[in-house]
Amino acid sequence: MEPLNLAVIVKLEPDFSEGNVSYKPDGTLNRNETKSTLGPHSGIAAKAAFYAKVKYGAKISVCSMGPPFAELALEQAQQTCDADVLHLYSDRIFAGADTLATAETLRTGITDKMQGKMDIVFSGHRASDGETGQTGPQTAWKLGFTFLGNVISYDVNLEKRTVVAKCLLTLNGVPNVVEEIEAPLPVFISIDPSYKSNYTTVSQRIAFEKYQKEAYERAKNYKQYLKVFNIDELGVDKTLVGLAGSPTIVYQVERIPKGKATRQAEVLDGSNPEHIRKAVAKMKEALSAMVIK
Amino acid sequence: MSEDWRCSGCDSCKTECEAYSHVYVIMEHIDGKILPVSLEMLGEARRLFDDYNARYSSNEKVVAVILGNDIKDYSKELIEYGADVVVCADHPELKDFRNTIHTKVISQIALDKEIASKIEPDYAKQFKKPRYIFFAADSIGRHLSSTVLVELESGLASDINKLVIKDLNVTHQIKTDGKPTDFKKTLEMYRPDFSGFLWTTILCLNNTTPAIKREYYPQGCSIIPGVFEPIKPDPKRSGEIIFYEPKIEENDLKVKVLSHKIIKSEVDFEIRKAVVSFGRGIKDAPDENIKLVAELAKQLDAEIGISLPISKKLLPASQSISSTYMIPARVIGTSGSKISPMLYVAAGISGAMQHVAGMQDSEFVVAINPDVDSPIKNECDIFINGRMEDVIPLLVEELKKQQQVVQAG
Repeated sequence: MEPLNLAVIVKLEPDFSEGNVSYKPDGTLNRNETKSTLGPHSGIAAKAAFYAKVKYGAKISVCSMGPPFAELALEQAQQTCDADVLHLYSDRIFAGADTLATAETLRTGITDKMQGKMDIVFSGHRASDGETGQTGPQTAWKLGFTFLGNVISYDVNLEKRTVVAKCLLTLNGVPNVVEEIEAPLPVFISIDPSYKSNYTTVSQRIAFEKYQKEAYERAKNYKQYLKVFNIDELGVDKTLVGLAGSPTIVYQVERIPKGKATRQAEVLDGSNPEHIRKAVAKMKEALSAMVIK
Repeated sequence: MSEDWRCSGCDSCKTECEAYSHVYVIMEHIDGKILPVSLEMLGEARRLFDDYNARYSSNEKVVAVILGNDIKDYSKELIEYGADVVVCADHPELKDFRNTIHTKVISQIALDKEIASKIEPDYAKQFKKPRYIFFAADSIGRHLSSTVLVELESGLASDINKLVIKDLNVTHQIKTDGKPTDFKKTLEMYRPDFSGFLWTTILCLNNTTPAIKREYYPQGCSIIPGVFEPIKPDPKRSGEIIFYEPKIEENDLKVKVLSHKIIKSEVDFEIRKAVVSFGRGIKDAPDENIKLVAELAKQLDAEIGISLPISKKLLPASQSISSTYMIPARVIGTSGSKISPMLYVAAGISGAMQHVAGMQDSEFVVAINPDVDSPIKNECDIFINGRMEDVIPLLVEELKKQQQVVQAG
């Protein structure tokens, strides 16, 4: 049986972990002072692809659209999923692309520049820095793959060439729902943040260790696996990518105005025992008030 | 550009006026219930279009689009909540939500000239696509909006919490070749960033530069649940109901929903009188500070909530603390739960707008914060000035003391 052919879409993002992230005094992100890293949701997508490699055997290609230094994201993703191929689509013309134009770039890379037809493409749920979770499904639609979103676990039936995925639906005003969906390959899976890989058998755990070691070694020499494509090398239609291919633009960025005070706060001093007593008394009072709701 | 611009029917934009009309609002329902966000979107569409039709002397419609099986009864409710027209695709194969099938059927409806002629004959002749399209920014709508807008080859802004329709004059290096260009009836889509302090306005604009000339309609967005108010339902409102027979491809039926389980959340804000929430103020010692919050919550018999940034697990905390407390189910705000407990305690929360929207209906609000200028001060009844690590232990001690007094008494 042919091993699965998998691709993972990843993104370099600001590193929001403490110590690496920098906020301006007004609470907004200071992008210049903030380091970059593989986006956490991209990392989960890479983990999900690694699961298929351990369980079924797979060839994994990871791709990203971004500036030259976005190869950092590919290196980190390779360390996670033991990727065989790394692609970076990098050109000044791609800059400023919205999700539709980004999806066109990624689609072209996956269809034209990766070997063979893909069985599953993975993406993260969304990026942490303001990207919107649209790139995954938009790439899926352009690829013509069945899109499965909010996936918390999945398995592949190699003989039937199908996937069964559990998807978590969080909807406002109603309880959460988990649906189990079966779909023929190829599929595009967008991974929910609560995704977990379950390695149940001894042979899976042995394979896990083996590939993890391999991933670590490979990532040390990630440049051997890396191929960078500019716009001409990618061969993408220039009017469909970058700003020219983006229907949407960011028109303006402003501070959200402070709302009018809805309550008149009594300010208490947190180091004054008398004030603390008062605060507790008020809290108790609030809890014992007869309120008909 | 003045606000009171009226369409004069001139040739330059007449074709465009007629080619793109109405707002299509995509409804969601699950287990027999229309989701609140759908009615909220209809309410906002109604308000926008009452104003729009008056301003532009036009007669464009709010069109609710609903897909499902055995859903005919919903149509009346949607009209009561502000729809002028309901397009209803009722089909056994639309019982479950499947992205591919739903994307195709919605796109069929959006492009269907016959539907357009039933919606409003005056605009039907040149009709190409809807002018605007709204989806819910939830687990279904976020993805559905993405795929539909690829199919319709237009632009989408996600997680919107404010909408304005305006005539704009925009200069864009690529789109307008650097020339100032008028864009009538443009939807300004406001998106709060992840911190909740910045608003990004996103526009979906045609390319007017000759080499890349393209018309981008509908202007699409997904709307955050809980942001907009539904209108008061009016049983006397009248509207048109259009039944659409969807074309479903055999091949797409190979995707099957095998099971559908409702799961109970481990977090329940409804059954508690009090909620204690924490935010980025835990940052100096996340584990220790969350334990303090948990202790305070225990004393108050409160459920524990968090602000949105905490759910992104960006602060280092032990696995057990993180998986118990830093989870999306605990988020209070527009991206999480909207609550109204008798007592709400906000510890180390600055009070970004999106958080405030989730807690402002609380009966009594206590904030613990070292910054008296933080926005939460405007939203609380008592503001305890101090760091949570210093204040909470004192509150816990005092609560225990008063508890003992009660018991002794």
